[in-house]
Amino acid sequence: MRRKLAVAITGTLLALGAAPLWAHHAFSAEFDVTKPLTLKGTLSKWEMINPHSWFHIDVKGPDGQVTEWMIEGGSPNTLIRLGVTKYTVKIGTELTIEGYQAKEATNKAVGRNFVLPDGTRLFLSLGNAVPGGAPSEPTK
Amino acid sequence: MHQRVLAASVGIAALALALTVVLLAQVPAAAQAPKAATPAATKPAPATKAAPAAKAWTVPRTPEGVPDLQGYWTNNSYTPLERPNGVTKEFYTLEELRQVEKKNAEREEEQTTPGTVADVHYDFTQFGLDRSQTRLADNLRTSVITNPENGKLPPVTPEGQKRAADRAAERKKQGAQYDQVQNIPIGSRCVWMNAGPPMMPPGYNPAYQIVQSPGYVTILVEMLHETRVIPTDGRPHAPAGVRSWMGDPKGHWEGDTLVVETTNFNDKVAFRGASENMKVTERFTRTSDDAIRYEFTVDDPSTWERAWKGEMPFVKIGGPIFEHACNEGNYGIANTLAGARKEEKKAAEEAAKKISTK
Repeated sequence: MRRKLAVAITGTLLALGAAPLWAHHAFSAEFDVTKPLTLKGTLSKWEMINPHSWFHIDVKGPDGQVTEWMIEGGSPNTLIRLGVTKYTVKIGTELTIEGYQAKEATNKAVGRNFVLPDGTRLFLSLGNAVPGGAPSEPTK
Repeated sequence: MHQRVLAASVGIAALALALTVVLLAQVPAAAQAPKAATPAATKPAPATKAAPAAKAWTVPRTPEGVPDLQGYWTNNSYTPLERPNGVTKEFYTLEELRQVEKKNAEREEEQTTPGTVADVHYDFTQFGLDRSQTRLADNLRTSVITNPENGKLPPVTPEGQKRAADRAAERKKQGAQYDQVQNIPIGSRCVWMNAGPPMMPPGYNPAYQIVQSPGYVTILVEMLHETRVIPTDGRPHAPAGVRSWMGDPKGHWEGDTLVVETTNFNDKVAFRGASENMKVTERFTRTSDDAIRYEFTVDDPSTWERAWKGEMPFVKIGGPIFEHACNEGNYGIANTLAGARKEEKKAAEEAAKKISTK
């Protein structure tokens, strides 16, 4: 059995090797491509954790009822290196999330885009977080 | 605001392929950091010279007297492990390298098409995960592999082919990838991802810290929170029965180069299909204040017909490295398994409905 297990693990690693390295997991196995959604709400909590950060947002329905959603985002480590801290996005910030709901069908989703009220995409409004704009020289 | 460029028809396979190519396109260091800066080449200029040359760089040393490799480093790169098909030369010019980097950076920024499987993820650029958003360790080489000279992995031995087939058969027996947590890739389960040896770039969070103390060199690997403790005091390898994910590293100094020989791997990582008999020999040479030349040899006669070699630079980045604590928030595993069970239940119910209406 032990041997069997080792083989299985190895095999799956090989499979992983064929995928983009960013893909810490297979997104389409966790989230449902047939359930795209757009959510408007306010940030109630931001878990800056690995391997993926999670944004909790309160979404008000047409009936006024507030529902909490958990939205998966990227690893915080690289963000921190680009100057983002846990204070960068304030609790209460209005966000529009375009994403896909989790296959397990509770109020979880992956955030394809995190958009601020002025239409900018979250984090990209930071001067040094623009693609290619990261400091190329090491800081002392 | 944003464009979603990739056509749906491109599909995941193509995307994965493209990204793999991107990934594989990485580190030509040696050409960039020539071996010229050796202490032997640094004769002091005569005092009589009116305009003395800038003081030549010498390898910094620890209080112990060995070369000082300490600091924060990255091997972030687009250079592929194997030379891309159609590329026949060993090195790019600097201009060509910049073109390759630009093309890869643009590909990373491209947006996927809504409603496609490829679109089901968060936007990497928004989270700073594009390689172009972190300092690149420029490598003029067209492949990490330096030997064989064609930049490709050597042929796999019959034993290696049989092992690969056996592993595939065993995998099949274990069921589908989301049947049980053990079938999920070890990277997704936060067990191991590219920490080495050999130390390949992990794709994101490519940050390392090297710390030295008398008799030890320690490498902290941010992704997924690994530490390589390398004794340099001449002790022998662990007994053959002692096996581990990252093997048993033993180091020594050859001139100004740290040489690390690692054996005693388990068979779970299976780097590029290797067996647990793989031996990896790494060479770390400080070539400037800003760079370390990293060379490695992979020797596993039961997998490849000959040993093969690779090379890439590590360059300085600002510290610190950050805790990754991958298991702490790995909700994705539970979400994925729960999703798979839900889909199975739904399929079973639909099948039962069909039977009952027959």
